[in-house]
Amino acid sequence: MTTDTDATRDRHTCTACGEAYPTERLLVLHRGARHPDDLDAAEVEAYREAYHEEEAELKSFRVRALGVIVLLYFGFLMLFIVFAS
Amino acid sequence: MTRLRPISLRRFGLGLLLASLLSLLADPAAASNAAVGLAGASQDNLAVPRWLYLATGGATVGASALLASFVTDRRFIERVHLWQTGPDAGVSDGLLRALRVAGGVLGLALLALAVSLGYTGPQVPTVNFAVIVVFAGLRAGYTMLSYLVADTWRALNPWRTVVSAVPNGFVSYPERLGRWPAVAGILALVWVETATAVTTRPSVLATALVAYSVVTLVGAVALGADAWFDKVDPVSVFLHFYGRVAPVRLDDDGLSFRLPGMRLVTDDDLTDLGDVAVAVVLVWELTFSGFVTTEQGAAAIRWLAGVGLPPLFVYGLLYLGGFGVFLGLYVLAARVTARRIDTFETPLDLAVTFAPSLLAIAAGYHLAHYVGFFVSLSPMLVHALSSPLSSPANPVVLTLPAWFGGLNVAFVLLGHLLAVWVAHSQAYRTFPSRLQAVRSQFPFVAVMILYTILSLWLISLPTANPPFL
Repeated sequence: MTTDTDATRDRHTCTACGEAYPTERLLVLHRGARHPDDLDAAEVEAYREAYHEEEAELKSFRVRALGVIVLLYFGFLMLFIVFAS
Repeated sequence: MTRLRPISLRRFGLGLLLASLLSLLADPAAASNAAVGLAGASQDNLAVPRWLYLATGGATVGASALLASFVTDRRFIERVHLWQTGPDAGVSDGLLRALRVAGGVLGLALLALAVSLGYTGPQVPTVNFAVIVVFAGLRAGYTMLSYLVADTWRALNPWRTVVSAVPNGFVSYPERLGRWPAVAGILALVWVETATAVTTRPSVLATALVAYSVVTLVGAVALGADAWFDKVDPVSVFLHFYGRVAPVRLDDDGLSFRLPGMRLVTDDDLTDLGDVAVAVVLVWELTFSGFVTTEQGAAAIRWLAGVGLPPLFVYGLLYLGGFGVFLGLYVLAARVTARRIDTFETPLDLAVTFAPSLLAIAAGYHLAHYVGFFVSLSPMLVHALSSPLSSPANPVVLTLPAWFGGLNVAFVLLGHLLAVWVAHSQAYRTFPSRLQAVRSQFPFVAVMILYTILSLWLISLPTANPPFL
């Protein structure tokens, strides 16, 4: 669902379902994920590129998230050793 | 290559999760039963300091959200929430109709018995049919059935049975009201349950049932059965919202089975802020009745009343104010998400998108608050239902083993974990970018962590009777 309140921003509208996105990249990702059969060759290439780019960002996110989980785990381990009896 | 990594991480995370759950279960916190009126008090001492127990619960939810964010495979997420058996064509129209008739007759019989025995039966809450069936039955056991198995209220609802049999729908329902009347109705019913004698004096309960029946019948005949029971009637909205969590569904398409909570992802029938408010009110009413039945809650109310405020005003303020805070926090999370993410989704769209996950939380809370109450009163409920006209001289109440307290903690956490997964699936359906899907959940998870900590705190407190009521 989209609204007109963002009318000042660029709208990249999907020709298959009418959904609008603020950037071209998001539209490419949307079309690749939701309408894979409607893509032409150039779009497939663009999707592949956007997907891999995102994969790299996700990888960096995963490393950070894992760091937080490890910190939580050992932090709580220490807390339990000290305070639980 | 990239596929392998999340799986091993997921396995590692699962171990962490199980370890933290086990550590909670090994030191069960004291459990309290939040059911008003019929509750028995129980208390164990914590072997873990309370702050550490609360922090662990919050961290479990936070860590599981992080773990869920490792699952970035859209097809896997879809497979999980779309998995189903059926709908089988094996259920014939005749059988469906027979079930509806049977449910209708049963519902009408139960309502008639509850009203008449409420007036004429023994005026002792623990043996009176009306009190047992309404609170141990409808409020506890039947609500559990609605979210654990299937939503059967549409067939059982005695008022709907009556209204469907007569001409109805003379006035069209103003759609802009959405489900706000139901929000007000649920708040009012829980208020009646907490602040009046319906739980202790069967004749008062019977009068309340009669009053409720009159309002419902008049309203439903005027507005039409569909509009009234879908948008206005508090009991129906309450049970149907819980019923969205259930794995089994029997409708005109037939009998189908889905993973618990996954209908929340695909039903897509919440549309505006009123629907969000219903979901929040389900979480809030359990938190509220949990709070006022604890010693700390009672002390807080006594203190406020000691300052010179009238007790009912204190309750009202706490009740409506707390609901406002709960709803406000949730809407704030939606606003923060809309601002943090490059999207045309409005805060309202996001609030509606993630609202179904609140229902999983509410189901977990309900189970934690009511399962002990329900199990201990189940012999009385069975007796009342099997021989409604004879009251037992010595009602049997089961005593619960101490590990039930640990079970309650597990239910609160399981509700939240299910909610985390529902939110994760919703995010992937909404956002084209997987990174957006991950980041969109953080403010909501923060709110969920707050709810978890509050709820775990409440079930760890010793119970007391609410003062001044």
